[in-house]
Amino acid sequence: MRLSKLERRSAIAGYAMLSPAMLVIALVTLFPIGYSVWMSMNTISSTFTGFQFQFSGFKNYGIVFHSSLFWQTLWFTTMYAAVTVVVELVLGLLVALALNQPIRGRGLAIAVMLVPWTLITVISAQMWGYIYNGIYGVLNYVLMSIHIINTPFLWLGTPTSATISMMMADIWKTTPFVTMILLAGLQLIPSELYEAAKIDGSSAWNSFWRITFPLLRPSLGLAALFRILQAFGLFDLPFVLTNGGPGTSTMSIAMLAYQAIFNNGSFGPGTAVAVVTVALVILLALGSLKALRTQVGEIDT
Amino acid sequence: MRRRTPQIRKVVGYIVLVGMLLIIIAPFYWMVATSLKGNLSIGNFPPSLYPHHPTFYHYARAFTTYGFGVYFRNSVIVSVIATVVVIVLAALASYAIARLPIRGKAPIMVFLLAISTFPQVAVISPLFLIMQGLGWLNSYQALIIPYVAFNLPFAIWVMRTYFAGIPKELDEAARVDGAGVLTTVFRVIMPLATPGIFTGGIFTFVACWTEFFFALVFNSSQNFRTIPVGIALFSGQFTIPYGTIFAGSTVAVLPIVLLVLLFQKWVVSGLTAGAVKG
Repeated sequence: MRLSKLERRSAIAGYAMLSPAMLVIALVTLFPIGYSVWMSMNTISSTFTGFQFQFSGFKNYGIVFHSSLFWQTLWFTTMYAAVTVVVELVLGLLVALALNQPIRGRGLAIAVMLVPWTLITVISAQMWGYIYNGIYGVLNYVLMSIHIINTPFLWLGTPTSATISMMMADIWKTTPFVTMILLAGLQLIPSELYEAAKIDGSSAWNSFWRITFPLLRPSLGLAALFRILQAFGLFDLPFVLTNGGPGTSTMSIAMLAYQAIFNNGSFGPGTAVAVVTVALVILLALGSLKALRTQVGEIDT
Repeated sequence: MRRRTPQIRKVVGYIVLVGMLLIIIAPFYWMVATSLKGNLSIGNFPPSLYPHHPTFYHYARAFTTYGFGVYFRNSVIVSVIATVVVIVLAALASYAIARLPIRGKAPIMVFLLAISTFPQVAVISPLFLIMQGLGWLNSYQALIIPYVAFNLPFAIWVMRTYFAGIPKELDEAARVDGAGVLTTVFRVIMPLATPGIFTGGIFTFVACWTEFFFALVFNSSQNFRTIPVGIALFSGQFTIPYGTIFAGSTVAVLPIVLLVLLFQKWVVSGLTAGAVKG
């Protein structure tokens, strides 16, 4: 098919308009990812003249896979992601369902829900660090005044309580965002469907599983994808709130890569950790993407 | 029984609403209250639930003695420039994808989605070596360029939806009248897509304002720290100076909260239109 002159000119303009954005993305994300893979297969030493690369195949991966700290941080990050994402989705869905009706103050609620999303995670971490403080933290004060505990507790002092405390801070900050996505999804479901179901004598419980849940799947998939990816990049919160401690019990996989590269100067093994993380994230994203596939298919039409 | 159900639902709705608002606001209240307390009462147990003698001492300290003013300047410069660049590049790219006869639209969109899933740690060591090689560590471009690249995919996704929603006849009418592609874009279509452009811009700005990892690795010297790095690395000799930290934090939270509340409609529509409807 011959394109008209006008169409050809528009197509050329189109590529010209597209290329600056694609060039920046390729240079700053795609190229470095490839370079990361290359770096992870080299022994890298720092010398006076700069960094010396020496190809060493999968040696760095051997170092990483033999390190118990790697498996520990991988387990911690996976468990942390699983728990926080599930809790945030369930909690966010419940809140969204409760708010998806004409009640007064909903506009205000949506406005307030936006605020934690805009909060710098580092500030949130400092805030919770002060609240959890074992000596003068307000959480101990509140729990002691309602007699749940009798003596102040060092929330960030044991591995289990530090992990739970960090999860709570995450859930506090992110659930409102998940709620917003789900509430937006709920509002796209036509109310006629529920009315029809009601006339057919369907219970609220049945309507939820037959109408709400299937139609909300794209929103749930999107929220889950966002959150899983974010959780696997977990860095800011443990860096400030616990610094990975006590010991290394709350160290995330991104923190391990950061420490290996920038504290120990082990560029090779540190980059190998980063590459493994990327591979994992891609696998997880492909899983979540199934929920979005219809969306992508619609673009060309 | 049936008739009462909506009533019960409403009551539950109000309880959830009030409970959620309290849980969201309480930590913020505590942060602001602490920033107004004197040094002695910050470390008290039991803590006083409100500042008995409110003082702006910590605010003055944060901006005079400590470098919060510098952190602010850096954050504003980096976030504003990155956002403007993202808006321009994303508007051009998404217009082309939504409205011009180019090939491979679906692969491009999938590619963008895939790119936006990569964690920052994936690129950190090469980018660090590159920045070091160029002598760009501790500079504004060290943050602006990665921020632009990492925020473009989402901005393009959001804006494409808006451009796709504008009737095709408008372009044709403009071109029949003799307008070139760029004239059509800037005089006819862009004004109609303003909500999409705002949405992409706000999401980018929030992401830049809150970003920590790149800022920590590339710009850790005192003069180039952004607010998150400044607050994370801010520590006293013996105790954590919470008063000063929270004074600086409160000031850091205010502008962005105002911005987002002001443009609330567009943020919400970004979540609905851009993300969910596709």
